[in-house]
Amino acid sequence: MTASPGAAAWNGALTRAGPDIHRGWFPLDAERHRRDAPQYCPGCAAALSLAEGGQGLVTEYWTGQDRVFVCYCGACDWSGDIVLAARVIGHEAEE
Amino acid sequence: MLTAEQNEELTQVAAGTPMGELLRRYWYPVAFTRELEEFPIKAARLLGEDFALFKTPRGRYGMLPQACPHRRASLAYGVVEADGLRCPYHGWLFGTDGTCLDQPAEREETNFRDRVRAVAGQVQELGGLIWAYIGPSPAPELPRFDVFVMDGVRDIGWTDLPCNFVQIMENAVDPHHTEWLHGRFFEFMARHQGFDAPASFGKKHVKVGFDAFEWGIIKRRVVEGASEEDDDWRIGHPLVFPYNMRVGGANIEQMQIRVPIDRTTTRFMLYTVHAPAGVEYPDQPQVPDYQIPVFDENGRHRVDYVEGQDMMAWVTQGPITDRTVEHLGRSDVGVTMLRRMFKEQMARVSRGEDPLGVYRDFRERIDLPCEKNKFDAGGSFAIQFIDRASSRFSPQADALKKLHIKAHENQKAAAG
Repeated sequence: MTASPGAAAWNGALTRAGPDIHRGWFPLDAERHRRDAPQYCPGCAAALSLAEGGQGLVTEYWTGQDRVFVCYCGACDWSGDIVLAARVIGHEAEE
Repeated sequence: MLTAEQNEELTQVAAGTPMGELLRRYWYPVAFTRELEEFPIKAARLLGEDFALFKTPRGRYGMLPQACPHRRASLAYGVVEADGLRCPYHGWLFGTDGTCLDQPAEREETNFRDRVRAVAGQVQELGGLIWAYIGPSPAPELPRFDVFVMDGVRDIGWTDLPCNFVQIMENAVDPHHTEWLHGRFFEFMARHQGFDAPASFGKKHVKVGFDAFEWGIIKRRVVEGASEEDDDWRIGHPLVFPYNMRVGGANIEQMQIRVPIDRTTTRFMLYTVHAPAGVEYPDQPQVPDYQIPVFDENGRHRVDYVEGQDMMAWVTQGPITDRTVEHLGRSDVGVTMLRRMFKEQMARVSRGEDPLGVYRDFRERIDLPCEKNKFDAGGSFAIQFIDRASSRFSPQADALKKLHIKAHENQKAAAG
């Protein structure tokens, strides 16, 4: 998982106008975020999303260029973070 | 961000929904004790359902669905009698357990009344509040959290807010907002409106942390100039799952209560106990309650006090904030943790288990972890808090300040 989500998240969205224009530009981009979210539990392979009949929860947050999906599986109780990382770093940056 | 379906699920309160079923496993405050002393019946709304709450002349509490099972007239206009509540329309009488005891217009020989029952809630009094439980039997214990049973001077500010309770709870695991909403923004408003903003709220957060524990999530912070040895990190304070937050500092102990009245209305209550040592507390035959302002005369949010600022942030997110278009960052990990906790507990309920914070063994007092030295501000925090938080609207605000000052003087005198 080495996509470049930071750049992709911004490309084009600002210049396009659509039915969501009154809610700002972000909804045009939200579909991409929904598409990138993990769909199945890494522990038991059950669907995570309610729309797919799953009982999980996936919450996305961003840190730098990385996108972190905090996942919980209601089928097996597995919980953990899945990171779409733009770059693999050998040493953790000082915080 | 969440999907629309996840946001829908997270913000439901209705019976039969996963979140609504979870929320029905807890007790909620539905009235002030003094209200039923002044008049023995009132309408109450909880989790989107309407009830008639009453107290019989014998001192027993009851809560029945507002619509009479007979012809749906409101029992909130009922006649309170020794055995229960009588419908004002045709006189059907219901006991506190929902049993139909009398149907005056029906013949004596019929057993019709045995075939009718109102689904009753369970009701208890604690700490100046009336608490109700409307979930499946048997009801769990009503948690006797420290603030509701401790000695001190009580004071309850409250208001009803036009938004879903989850966005208010998310604020309880968002320490960073403090230095901005109650720091920089407070200073900005103070400069323009000509008052002094308390400096302690604006301290920069160096570190935040969250730990799940038996009652919810403990929130910790290190502010600039402090360390992990200080109360804010070493002890922190908890979000008490699913609808409370325990805060405190400088001998002020508080439970912030956020009752889901319905999906887009939340009763916000600040249950405060002023408990400085070395001073006698006055008798309080009734706990004073007062409504705190949300809007000014122009319809704008009143943001010249701490909770007014919070309420502005919660309400302006919308009746149900659209989490499909939010942008969470790493500083929002507490928010993601809370959402996961809601989801985990929904799953427990669906499996027939008790969720977090539901317990069945009576405990006289439940002490919650809560820092004493708030924001490393020392004893001055008490006066700042009364001057610039919701207590300033209390009818006993001046008396509370005198109480803290007197306690401080007594302690100094005792120390020589």
